[in-house]
Amino acid sequence: MQLFLQVLLNGVLQGGLYALMALGLALVWGVLNIVNLAHGAFIMLGGYVCWALFTWAHLDPFLALIPTAVLLFALGYGIQRTVLNKVVRGPMFNTLLITFGLEVVLTYLVQLAFSADFRTINPSYSGANISRFGLTLPLVNLAVFALALLLTVAMWLFLLHARLGRSIRATAQNLTAARLYGVEPRHLYALTFGLGTALAGAAGGLYGQVSQLNPYIGATLTAKCFAIAIIGGLDSPLGVIAGGLILGVAEALTALYIGPTYVELVSFGILVLVLIVRPTGLLGRAT
Amino acid sequence: MKRTLLWGVLAALAVAIGALPWWGSDVLVQFGINALLLAALAQSWNILGGYTGYASFGNSVFYGLGAYGVAIAMVQFQWSFAAGMALGGALAVVFALLLGVPVLRLKGHYFAIATLGISQVMGAVVANLPIAGSNIGLVLPLINNNVLFYELSFALVVAVTLVVWWIARSRFGYGLIAIRENEEAAAAMGINTTWFKVAAYALSGLFAALAGGIHAYWITFLDPGGAFDLTLNVKMIIMAVFGGPGTVLGPVVGALLLSAISEVLAAKVTGVAALFFGAVIVAAVVFMPRGMADVLRRWPQQGWRYFGLNMRKNRL
Repeated sequence: MQLFLQVLLNGVLQGGLYALMALGLALVWGVLNIVNLAHGAFIMLGGYVCWALFTWAHLDPFLALIPTAVLLFALGYGIQRTVLNKVVRGPMFNTLLITFGLEVVLTYLVQLAFSADFRTINPSYSGANISRFGLTLPLVNLAVFALALLLTVAMWLFLLHARLGRSIRATAQNLTAARLYGVEPRHLYALTFGLGTALAGAAGGLYGQVSQLNPYIGATLTAKCFAIAIIGGLDSPLGVIAGGLILGVAEALTALYIGPTYVELVSFGILVLVLIVRPTGLLGRAT
Repeated sequence: MKRTLLWGVLAALAVAIGALPWWGSDVLVQFGINALLLAALAQSWNILGGYTGYASFGNSVFYGLGAYGVAIAMVQFQWSFAAGMALGGALAVVFALLLGVPVLRLKGHYFAIATLGISQVMGAVVANLPIAGSNIGLVLPLINNNVLFYELSFALVVAVTLVVWWIARSRFGYGLIAIRENEEAAAAMGINTTWFKVAAYALSGLFAALAGGIHAYWITFLDPGGAFDLTLNVKMIIMAVFGGPGTVLGPVVGALLLSAISEVLAAKVTGVAALFFGAVIVAAVVFMPRGMADVLRRWPQQGWRYFGLNMRKNRL
């Protein structure tokens, strides 16, 4: 029972981070109808930027999230403005191919800059934890979880109430009508994509504190984000939180009761099953 | 007159490529096997992605099934290679028939991601199957005969291209194209869309599996990561899209050309090959989103303006 609760707790903590990881992907997919295969690579890049700021500039890793997010926002804005905006109305698999091309380029450049070694962001307080009722609660993981949930909810409120957030949602619903109301789509598309990559960057910075970074984690992370976005549906960031928690807990319990080699099987199995049974997501609205 | 000339040139080219082991070096034959297997994969993707309009991002699942079919048959059952190929092909077709009905109900991005997920699931399943060598993989009996593998790969490319050629001018193919252009209208015309799509899926899977089987016996080693490789999916798609999806020769030409370019670059400037591959994908999709076949078709009228017109049409 003790073990079960501990594993459940670990799964929930991991799930919060998963939600933040998938949030940018779901946003870009839901609003721009672009499935960003490079999303995991942006998470990886964010992790390395954060690692560099921590190791070379001695910045606190949580503080380093801000410049990381700003940098990745600029990168995402530029990529959408100069490349992706040129192909969004073409055949659907073209955006998939382009973002895959970006993933290859990013992976290669990061490997060139940082080598293929494993890296972790290890601040002095990384081992701290609280123990109560026989359960161990690592403080960094708790902070990561809280920050991830906070950012996700902030994103939800922003989309719901802020003027910019509402024009993003309006564009998602009807591009032509949004244009007639004075939304400039080229700028807005770039802004939305930049927001997506900024979220990915922040998630990467947090990921680097609880897991190991290497240049090749991008593809796996993208696939995980798919699973989360599909489970939660693309309608609202709250669905993504649920998706993240479901995946985190399912993976933790699988590793405990079935075996660690079955984790991938379960996460992708859930993805395929949800797609087949209910393509709009477990929590999404039926169309 | 012009047509006969074209056919003559094509036939001569095919004979030259087929006879490569008798005029080319060993290195060229090895490169040729890889390029031809990729061409077969790109062409098999073309049946579903190009003609039917269902862009699969997980055709490597069939490649993996074919490879494991051959490996399991030869290593665990001591069957012959031919029997192994039959097992691999049968596995792929059965898999396509079972999964085709639920998966082909999905459209667009959802279909792409479902197929991608399925290939990852199969990779994870195989990694936990003792008969498939689990995580470690299987080592096949060694035979050192590159000419044989070259001719097998060449025959496979010819076979799948002939099938695509038949599709392009048969009732079955017209049905697939109708589904690509407008599925509801196709159903209203009396096409059994489910059966047509599943048949295209199975056909595409069969050829991908045969390519996987040849590759496994050639390389003589197989593990889950290599057999269900995500990059391979994208490679076959970019090659088909580069040449021209939904055309008979486009995917083959695209595959051979891109393989050649990346091989030359890898030899000249090692390490930059991956970067080049990514950059080519981006450039090709921006400048010729409908492939080289479309460029050739419209070049006589539009010339250089083609690229500008295309970009204006697809940009925001």
